[in-house]
Amino acid sequence: MRNNPATIASAVFTYGFVGLMAFLSVFPFIWMVLGATNSSIDIIKGRLMPGEALATNIANFFTLVNVPLVFWNSAKVTIFATVLTLAVSSLAGYGFEIFRSRRRENLYRAMLLTLMIPFAALMIPLFIMMGKMGLINTHIAVVLPTIGSAFIVFYFRQSTKAFPSELRDAAKVDGLKEWQIFLYIYVPVMRSTYAAAFIIVFMTAWNNYLWPLIVLQSNETKTITLVISSLASAYYPDYGVVMVGTFLATLPTLTVFFFMQRQFVQGMLGSVK
Amino acid sequence: MTELQLSDVRKSYGGFEVIKGVDLDIKSGEFVVFVGPSGCGKSTLLRMIAGLEEITSGDLTIDDVLMNDVDPSKRGIAMVFQSYALYPHMTVRENMGFALRFAGVPKAEIEKRVGEAANILELGPLLDRKPKQLSGGQRQRVAIGRAIVRHPKIFLFDEPLSNLDAELRVHMRIEIARLHKQLAATIIYVTHDQVEAMTLADKIVVMRGGVVEQVGSPLDLYDDPANQFVAGFIGSPKMNFLKGVIEAGDGGECYARLPEYGGVKIPVGLKGAAPGTPVTIGIRPEHFKEEGSVSLDLTIDMLEHLGGETFAYARHGNGELVVIETKNGRGLKSGDRITARFDPACALVFDEGGKRLR
Ligand SMILES: Nc1ncnc2c1ncn2[C@@H]1O[C@H](COP(=O)(O)OP(=O)(O)OP(=O)(O)O)[C@@H](O)[C@H]1O
Ligand SMILES: [Mg+2]
Repeated sequence: MRNNPATIASAVFTYGFVGLMAFLSVFPFIWMVLGATNSSIDIIKGRLMPGEALATNIANFFTLVNVPLVFWNSAKVTIFATVLTLAVSSLAGYGFEIFRSRRRENLYRAMLLTLMIPFAALMIPLFIMMGKMGLINTHIAVVLPTIGSAFIVFYFRQSTKAFPSELRDAAKVDGLKEWQIFLYIYVPVMRSTYAAAFIIVFMTAWNNYLWPLIVLQSNETKTITLVISSLASAYYPDYGVVMVGTFLATLPTLTVFFFMQRQFVQGMLGSVK
Repeated sequence: MTELQLSDVRKSYGGFEVIKGVDLDIKSGEFVVFVGPSGCGKSTLLRMIAGLEEITSGDLTIDDVLMNDVDPSKRGIAMVFQSYALYPHMTVRENMGFALRFAGVPKAEIEKRVGEAANILELGPLLDRKPKQLSGGQRQRVAIGRAIVRHPKIFLFDEPLSNLDAELRVHMRIEIARLHKQLAATIIYVTHDQVEAMTLADKIVVMRGGVVEQVGSPLDLYDDPANQFVAGFIGSPKMNFLKGVIEAGDGGECYARLPEYGGVKIPVGLKGAAPGTPVTIGIRPEHFKEEGSVSLDLTIDMLEHLGGETFAYARHGNGELVVIETKNGRGLKSGDRITARFDPACALVFDEGGKRLR
């Protein structure tokens, strides 16, 4: 049975395919790490070995970029976006699932339709709105449009389907008001759903590029993604420095994922068992 | 002393009425069981008492106070759910103390009450576990414990044992009966299980289609059902129903003739039933005896030997199935022809609409 040729062939195929996929996703990362140790010229030449330019690259990165400020800007935007998105979207998803009515169902469908509108189409109207509110070049303008995330609302509504209605009943008999049921029962019970949503929202916010590019115009407000891209599109870009920047920029998301991957997988499978 | 009263209580979901005018008095300390077929509105009625479901019309009073619009936590009730509904993120101790914490009961008092309940239910060693780490029976006990600590006037149970295996169910049933005695509490209990209903209840409420068909003690319902539905619902195996027609004898006495069973005549002491009235004769399986003035010729179809007694599923020549319970059925086998007898005094008579004729 174990040496059956068909079994072997299928194992070879499976591992080959998985291996290829893993390589495709890991290669850019390896290239980035190697690139950070090489000089710009070597990178352009396509050198794929560890080099000796790491210290120089780091030093150059820190002179070219106000690192603490840029990271602080990114962190601020990301933390606000994440906390607000989770709060607003989980409340909305919970509400849509628990308090159903025909009107709300229509509202929900309309909201899902917005998923189909590409951001490029919203950019200009949004920019004008932010302009009218005097928020251009502020971090509020970066965060505001992202917090009502249709996708996260959808994700929470789907997950809420597994939340037992008898828990709500028990809580009501125990004397909890609706907001208390949400806060003291729903949130802790659904914590792996929150963890999975947290990772998604955190990464999206941290990596967000297009919208910040439009609303953030001064060097004091720019986030790490913007700064790295401006380094890469300079007249004589130093790719070694860019690689150092990219590497540092991936560290937070990497850390978050590393510490939360168990909850992330659990959240994707459903919070309530 | 009346503790809980329902008067003409109704419930509609968007124009569709599921509880159609229920009147019920429950006395303090009574163990009341709601039974009825699936979908008849038992849970809905219980949830209306709990305050989890709005009352469309009618009055619910507890201790003579109108409760229709009172918050569930202020009705003096506690509820035990079918799925237990324990908070999964809290320990047993926290689960039990949660309602009290919310009601602002001092910490020491909470500790004391949780301790008491844990003692009663033998939950002591489990207090610091999460619900995940408990067996089904233990979870059930915690759910009951959570109700006990609140010192409610009325306990509400919605099919609390239906998720347990047969053995545990018997154990918990006895446990609940013991609790009822120990706490002298009023209990309203919904179940599908005949045995639970018969053994636990002081008073059974039989429901069908959102209406109360009959209220009475278990044995009253068994011996003296108000209609064919209750007669058929209470008792297992079911009461046998035989079609017949009222006729008057030569001496003016009244009897029911069963034309489909070879014209057997059953004397029935009915007042004022007109000859020619179609009726249904009800006779319980255990009322078939060796002796009896009425006899039916039957062929055994199938046998269930329970050890002590035997249920014989036998057919009459007309194809109708009759269930007979007998103490000495070990010698019987399928295909045997038997003559089943019963005493006409045991027979109940129902009219075409199912109403009991007396
Ligand atoms: N939220 C609701 N909306 C509409 N109809 C409902 C709702 N809840 C219950 N019903 C209907 O009310 C009727 C009674 O339901 P209920 O749950 O009380 O039955 P039950 O007697 O408890 O049944 P079971 O023994 O299966 O638990 C059913 O016909 C059901 O379809
Ligand atoms: Mg039910």
